[in-house]
Amino acid sequence: MGEMEDLQKEANNLKDQITAARKAVQDSTLQETVAGTTVVGRVQLKTRKTLRGHLAKIYAMHWGADSTLCVSASQDGKLIVWDSISTNKVNAIPLKSSWVMTCSYAPSGNLVACGGLDNMCSIYNLKGKDGNVKVMRELAAHTGYLSCCRFLSDTEIITSSGDCTCVLWDIETGTQKTIFAGHMGDCMSLAVSPDFNFFISGACDFTAKLWDIREAQCRQTFSGHESDINAIGFFPNGNAVITGSDDATCKLYDLRSDQELITYQDSSIMCGVTSLAPSKSGRLLLAGHDDFNVNIWDALKSERVGVLAGHDNRVSCIGVSSDGMACCTGSWDSFLKIWN
Amino acid sequence: MCSSNSVIQAQKLVDQLRVEAGMERIKQISLTAADLVRYCQEHRRHDPLLTGIAASSNPFKDKKSCVLL
Repeated sequence: MGEMEDLQKEANNLKDQITAARKAVQDSTLQETVAGTTVVGRVQLKTRKTLRGHLAKIYAMHWGADSTLCVSASQDGKLIVWDSISTNKVNAIPLKSSWVMTCSYAPSGNLVACGGLDNMCSIYNLKGKDGNVKVMRELAAHTGYLSCCRFLSDTEIITSSGDCTCVLWDIETGTQKTIFAGHMGDCMSLAVSPDFNFFISGACDFTAKLWDIREAQCRQTFSGHESDINAIGFFPNGNAVITGSDDATCKLYDLRSDQELITYQDSSIMCGVTSLAPSKSGRLLLAGHDDFNVNIWDALKSERVGVLAGHDNRVSCIGVSSDGMACCTGSWDSFLKIWN
Repeated sequence: MCSSNSVIQAQKLVDQLRVEAGMERIKQISLTAADLVRYCQEHRRHDPLLTGIAASSNPFKDKKSCVLL
């Protein structure tokens, strides 16, 4: 068909334009910029707490905004809200579907959400009148598994799905406000920008996309990974994006110059990245891998400066608390560990 | 899982590429990279995992001494 050929040609022209525009701002590299900076000293974090209670693989965890409470999701069919300092279980929420893949804590601390192979995002109210934690809303419309969810507020949540889309939901009405379509593979992970105006998604099409939440538009697409992107996060200043992939590397993409700045890789690291979290200043990048370890990188110098070894199975999730005081890892070994 | 190749799909891709090509990449890498470095330096003091935490101010560290309740 002539039309398809024309469209293909136009697509290739536009891709060339983008490549040229990216080259035009490539007056330097991150490596050159930090040539005079010293690598950070060896980072040795210790396990301070082990949160025991789940009876099966932990798939996700998320810190509450108070840097003390955190929520974890396990395929034992439970969401547990923990006090990470006392290790007490504040809530143990039984789930309708045990095939959970993600969980999220609302910034307010009032709600938690989870979802997985049930294709739904279930919202739970932690502060119900009678003290019981109940399902408040079931957000159903995705035609694939729920891989990740993140609250914008108590009334809005963004989800990513194996159906290749991300969705912004109105929690009160339980309806989809915006559908973000464009990925050509399962969306695996998402992260919201510090100013709440954008979010980024990583997918099995090996790309990461930056979305303008209110304009409902994909603004930028980042390529380079050679396999599925499983984990994604914002650099703390909101101007860069970090991705973690099955290709065993992490990458740092700069938003304003629209390109990759650096790849975090080592020939000795052969296992896929499952999860990642930057430290509070962004200087450290913590990445969880299939090989049961967490690698700690100097994010500017791209050198490995530490390892967290303590789990007996895959590290599936990781998070740094908002005050930066601790890192929490969750594993298929059914335990969560708090490190600092 | 996702729609197969079609004219509509190809048109959507072209439309999206047009949006991305139209982006203003005004900031050079030398400047954006410097911004990242500056951010790390400015916030270094507030990054406990980087600078280390004194045992006395670490809420996660078990206190060794006994406490009179």
